[in-house]
Amino acid sequence: METRSQRVALQDAMVFLGAIASGTEQAIGESANRISYLAGVNLGKRLSEGVPTTGDIEKALDATREVLLRNDYLWLFEAFKTHDQQATFQESEEGTQVMLVFRDCMIRQSLFRFGHAQKGSLCNMMYGFFAGALQNIMGRESSLEIVHAGENACYKKLVVRRAS
Amino acid sequence: MSLEIAVHEPSCRGCELCIDVCPTKVFELDAEQRLCVVKHAEDCIACLSCAYICPSTAISHSGYHAVKNFYRDAEFCEKMGKFL
Repeated sequence: METRSQRVALQDAMVFLGAIASGTEQAIGESANRISYLAGVNLGKRLSEGVPTTGDIEKALDATREVLLRNDYLWLFEAFKTHDQQATFQESEEGTQVMLVFRDCMIRQSLFRFGHAQKGSLCNMMYGFFAGALQNIMGRESSLEIVHAGENACYKKLVVRRAS
Repeated sequence: MSLEIAVHEPSCRGCELCIDVCPTKVFELDAEQRLCVVKHAEDCIACLSCAYICPSTAISHSGYHAVKNFYRDAEFCEKMGKFL
C-alpha cells in the first residue's frame, strides 16, 4: 500500500478506535476498562513470548521496550526520577516502584484526534500490556497507575509486586 | 539541547493552576510577588499541561521532545501497514 493510502487508512483506524472506546465506555461504564485491560494483558503476553526471563526490573523494562520497538508500536517510555527521590527504582511494601514517562503514544494521539478523554479504556490497555509482558518476563504481577495524563507526555507509576 | 521551562513574569497572575496541574511539582508560588516561579526545572517531564492550562500563556518550554502526530508521519505509516 503506498504511503498516502496508508496514512488515510491509519486515520480511519484511529477514528474507529477512539469512537469504539468512547462508545464502549458510555455504554458499559467501568467494565470497558476491564475489557481493554484484559486485551492488553493478552497482547503483552503474546508479544513477549520467548523473551528471556529476568528478575531485574530494569532489564525487564528494557526487554519490554524492545518488544514494543520490534513490533513497531509507538508506545515508548523511560524511567524518571524527581530531585527528591532517592533512587529511580524504589522498594516499598507493595514491591518495586518506578515512575515512567510516556512520550510518543499511539493511544494519546488517537484520543486527541477527536477530543476523547484520556485515562479511559484505551489507556487501560497499556496497563494491561505491561502487566502481561512483565508477567512473562519477570513472573510477577504489576500495576501501572496513571498519575497524570498530559498533552505531550504522561506520567505513570509502575509497581512490580513481590514474588509470592 | 536540554529542556528549559520559563514563566513570563509580567504575564503571570499567580492563579496557581500550573502548580495544581504539574505532576512533578516543578512550580512554586512566590507569595510576596504573587507569581508562580519555576522551582525544580529538572523535574519537568514536558507534558506541557502547565502551558496549556495557563490562562495568560505565560509558560513556555524549549528543548523538549514534541510528540509525533504519528498519523502524519510517513515513516510510521509505512510501518503500520501490517496492521491495516
